[in-house]
Amino acid sequence: MGLGFAVGVFGVLILAHAAYSTIQYRGLLKIMEEEFSGPPMNVVIELLLGFAVCMWAALTVPGNFLSIHPYADENRIVSLPANLDFMIFNHRGKAFPLDLDLKLKH
Amino acid sequence: MVSKTEQSQLDRLENQVDNGGGGDWEYLCLVRKLKVRRSDKVLKYGLAILNDPKKRSSLGQDEWTLYEQVAIAAMDCQSIDAAKDCIKVLQKKFSESKRVGRLEAMLLEAKGSWAEAEKAYSSLLEDNPLDQVVHKRRVAMAKAQGNISGAIEWLNKYLEIFMADNDAWRELAEIYVSLQMYKQAAFCYEELILSQPTVPLYHLAYADVLYTLGGLENLQMAKKYYASTIDLTGGKNTRALFGICLCTSAIGHLAKGRNKEEKDSPELQSLAVTALEKDYKQRAPEKLSLLTTALKSMKIS
Repeated sequence: MGLGFAVGVFGVLILAHAAYSTIQYRGLLKIMEEEFSGPPMNVVIELLLGFAVCMWAALTVPGNFLSIHPYADENRIVSLPANLDFMIFNHRGKAFPLDLDLKLKH
Repeated sequence: MVSKTEQSQLDRLENQVDNGGGGDWEYLCLVRKLKVRRSDKVLKYGLAILNDPKKRSSLGQDEWTLYEQVAIAAMDCQSIDAAKDCIKVLQKKFSESKRVGRLEAMLLEAKGSWAEAEKAYSSLLEDNPLDQVVHKRRVAMAKAQGNISGAIEWLNKYLEIFMADNDAWRELAEIYVSLQMYKQAAFCYEELILSQPTVPLYHLAYADVLYTLGGLENLQMAKKYYASTIDLTGGKNTRALFGICLCTSAIGHLAKGRNKEEKDSPELQSLAVTALEKDYKQRAPEKLSLLTTALKSMKIS
């Protein structure tokens, strides 16, 4: 969690730096009176790196993926709950009372 | 609904608690969450926690939930004294509570004093006529007295008001099955499938009922519902696989005299047979010969 979060912050910083570099580059172009055709190579690499790092962090920090398949072990229902609202007490267990000394002692 | 992971977690915890490995409170919580009926164990371990002042006070507010759980478990185990003591403690703490009043009425039920319990439930219903649990208790009481037709009548009345109560539909279906009124049971299961289409066990139960009803049309429907169970469980439900085989065999018998134009999906049963054989080979190799003879007697493999 801590590591993933730090990596995510680092990725956002890289993206911010890429944006800052682009703005500076455009300013430089304006001074040199050239046309803007695209960001320089190092900014593109920075963008791709920041994107990858952010994506990794976004996929790891919130938690693990859960299966959506109905037959996955977490989703596959193997038994229904006992219908406790309709439970009745005079069942055959009545014939075999527990021989333990069970009492509330206070 | 108990999923496969929860089931194995429960088994593991139960094993651990039975062998004195601790985790009693976690076990009791899981039992409560999954709504499984383990009354003897809940009574034993729950009372052990309640009798230990240090453990009890560490629970905080959950203490009262545990008292309730243990009281119900004690009634189920016919330890009337323990149940009475638990209810007395709860009564002292929450003197005006309806929930405790319900427990007291249940205690009367467990003792077998039906008339008094009935009176207690009616007075509870006067205060709150839409108390679902009390309505359900009355159904259960009719059932406990052997008055099954009365239970059906109550349950039908209840379901007219609370149509979205799946547990009640299931109870009604099970009662109908126990009385061999399969058409009515099928209706209840249809209702359940409609409200919870992703629960494979309802599909399975519906298919069972249709298969029991018999007749070509019902058998074909049953086969479809067994197939949908397999679809939802990924083929890990042995009963559904057997169901496919039995349906195929029964349809074959019925359709023998007629024209065999509607031989739909002959590969379905061979796939089911293959899955069954693989499953048996993996989990019970010594029973494989039994399976092959059984399948041979159905004349499908």
